[in-house]
Amino acid sequence: MTRSSTGRGGSVFRRVLSEAVGALLFPVLAILISFAIGAAIILATGRNPIAAYSALITGAFGSPAAIGRTLVNATPLIFTGLAVAVAFRAGLFNIGGEGQFYIGAITAAWLGVSLGFLGPIALPITLVACIITGFLWGAIPGALKAYFGAHEVITTIMLNFIAINLTVYLALNPLRGSGLVPGTENVAAAARIPVLGFGLGRANLGIFVAILAAVVAYLILWRTKRGFQIRAVGLSPGAANYAGIPIGRNTVLALAIGGAFAGLGGGVEVMGVYGKMAVPFVANVGFNGIGVALLGRNHPFGVVLGALVFGGLFSGAQEMQFQTDVPLSLTVVLLAVILLLVTATRLVELIFGKRARILASGTRPEKGLGQ
Amino acid sequence: MVEARARDNGPGAKAPKVLEMTGVTKTFGPVTANDDVSLVLHRGEILGLLGENGAGKSTLMKILYGLYKPDSGTIYVDGEEVQIRDPKDAVRRGIGMVHQHFTLIPPLTVAENIVLGAEPRKGGALDLNRAMRETEVLSERYGLKVDPRARVADLSVGVQQRVEILKALYRDARILILDEPTAVLTPQETEDLYRTLQELVADGLSIILITHKLGELLGVSDNITIIRDGRVVDTVKTSETEEGSLARLMVGREVLLRVEKGENEVGTPRLVAQGLVVLSSTGATAVHGVDIEVRAGEILGVAGVDGNGQVELAEALAGTRLVHKGRVYLDGEDVTGLGADERQERGLAYVPEDRSHKGLVQDFSLWENNALKTYDEPPFSGRFGRIFPKVMRRRAAQNLKAYDVRPSEPDARAGALSGGNQQKAILARELSGNPKAIIAAQPTRGVDVGAIEFIHRQLLEQREEGKAILLISLELEEVRSLSDRIVVMYDGRIVGEVGPDATDEELGLLMAGRGSGVGER
Repeated sequence: MTRSSTGRGGSVFRRVLSEAVGALLFPVLAILISFAIGAAIILATGRNPIAAYSALITGAFGSPAAIGRTLVNATPLIFTGLAVAVAFRAGLFNIGGEGQFYIGAITAAWLGVSLGFLGPIALPITLVACIITGFLWGAIPGALKAYFGAHEVITTIMLNFIAINLTVYLALNPLRGSGLVPGTENVAAAARIPVLGFGLGRANLGIFVAILAAVVAYLILWRTKRGFQIRAVGLSPGAANYAGIPIGRNTVLALAIGGAFAGLGGGVEVMGVYGKMAVPFVANVGFNGIGVALLGRNHPFGVVLGALVFGGLFSGAQEMQFQTDVPLSLTVVLLAVILLLVTATRLVELIFGKRARILASGTRPEKGLGQ
Repeated sequence: MVEARARDNGPGAKAPKVLEMTGVTKTFGPVTANDDVSLVLHRGEILGLLGENGAGKSTLMKILYGLYKPDSGTIYVDGEEVQIRDPKDAVRRGIGMVHQHFTLIPPLTVAENIVLGAEPRKGGALDLNRAMRETEVLSERYGLKVDPRARVADLSVGVQQRVEILKALYRDARILILDEPTAVLTPQETEDLYRTLQELVADGLSIILITHKLGELLGVSDNITIIRDGRVVDTVKTSETEEGSLARLMVGREVLLRVEKGENEVGTPRLVAQGLVVLSSTGATAVHGVDIEVRAGEILGVAGVDGNGQVELAEALAGTRLVHKGRVYLDGEDVTGLGADERQERGLAYVPEDRSHKGLVQDFSLWENNALKTYDEPPFSGRFGRIFPKVMRRRAAQNLKAYDVRPSEPDARAGALSGGNQQKAILARELSGNPKAIIAAQPTRGVDVGAIEFIHRQLLEQREEGKAILLISLELEEVRSLSDRIVVMYDGRIVGEVGPDATDEELGLLMAGRGSGVGER
């Protein structure tokens, strides 16, 4: 997946296939195991796991409306997942997806209204603006890290509080709308992202923007000089410095590019799903983006798949609760087990042996101690 | 005192066995690091454990010290079968280890370091006075001179090593394992160390000395066990062997211990440093006003003990570290203000001393590593910041073949290669660009003899093609056999220049800072 073809058709196909299988094997296994554990829990509470899971799956993918809900859930998670994944490739933990998402959302809520007179042309302008504000907001922790040594985990968490409270203040005060639901004014209808139709409900073209964003993230990381630099810095700062690759600049850019994806996500959410920034606004997309990136092994295409898993579980859970009385919170358990298995590679080793762990983590286990 | 112990009769069959390892096998996945290894150590014996890098010496000793668990095999200490599960077990059995990389805490004093983890206590609190006293007693008893109150950070490497040995003795070690103890010492410090070891065995200790340097063992050991590819090939009496046959046993074939070098034609200065002052990462001055001139067609060797500013000098010349004062010229052009990337584009190659953290991105493929410096130049990159992996992979495949890197598959992960092949991959990248000047810092550190030969030949070939080569190495033999001129670095200064025929004595004095015009430390 991560490599282009050489001239040798057959071996390339085999390589791509074996890489894809290696990459997918563990997330899939993790999901299956988590479902098995979930089944035990459902049984223990005296309910029927088969009924519960069939309701879950029906609720996630069983009808156009269900698929629509899953897509609506997955779209913002793709963006925030990319925000985490891109930064991670530079060796940085971006916990700030939530704040970056909110910054993009308020940008869209503002421009979607004030540029509304432009009609459909307002949409691309607004989304580009979301990319820019997200980029700048993401650059802040990057610069703090690169030039002042402040750890990005701390600063991105702190900036989340600032971003959330700032945007909520803006949405309730200078940008407050006249509607019943507290929040901003509705953006111009002509500037909204069109819905998909086909009975998919609120699902809109935003999902394609998200997939496009994943492709762009892939191209940036593996087909540009910038991406080469970011990955070199992430894997070995020493070797990057040796090769004359500036570490500071790439730290700033990796977090900023991540922020741009999250910011665009916020914009797509406003312009696609809600038409405004309501207060309270969607919560936890930034944090779930971390889980999505982990499940997707910090690969843009993995992020898309991971977001669909998360989105499907969220929408299916409602149906499950409605039909079988198994509580929504079971999905939290399922997600927790999935993430535990995907991240705790040593646990995988314990269960499946060392070879499996090498496959799971994509790297070799540390050899011995010291040296 | 050395003479007090008769060298030729050593501990023979009469001395009791203090340690025996039989049939030890250890595998890491598909790699067999130790295959049915057996080894015997007698009381009062210095046993040399000789083998190339990667032969399995360190693995064996880590098993003995409880860091690895063997797949099979038994260990007897004083005739009793023992299970060594962790270093604590090993210490309890009287086994002490002096690691190649010291495990001291620099800001603490000598006494604090020695008692750390086994502190004498008074009413629950650390009894520092007793620690000081006990350190003094130990140091006197074994003639290992140290000041218990000195901060470890202020000590020279040789003295730090003494502290490490005392640390093991404080824990009542009867069997001492030293892993490549001379790698960081000057020839004179090495002598001191060996004298100390003699005294320790005279006192009834037994010592295992791990090394890949043949010459050193001849002077100090009683017996030598040679390991190759994880197997014991032979155990010989030191008095009955000589360098050539040890080398043959170690490598498994005849080796050229010295490469032949032809006459050279020296041209204009290519790489020049004037009054170079460079700071270390901690902000201390690591290089104090060094002048260096490397001319086309010559190899200028830089000898010196590790940590005397060689790394900082190389980095400042290559552009990966800021020049504090002074100037750097490349082919007559002032490049002081340019970064590593720009210097590389102007024809400067740099083989760094640390291939795993600098020379290669371990988790990059070989083709990505091959393009680590040139990814931003055509034909590897084009408009809009694009790069072309296909072109990179094709070029990498050529380079890897040309430099005999195995595997030569461009998609292999760099970290999966052996040390020698990693080094060849770096060489392939650095030399294939037809550079004007080459900085080679410890180009053969930790690589096997076969690869050393290859690397040396490549450097000499570059010399014949008129490249200017700066060779920085800790191995005197390497510096002497390759260089046309040798400068010695001590404490961040060039303390002398000698010819390639300089003796150990001459070089050693310079390396210890005791050459003409240099004060004592």
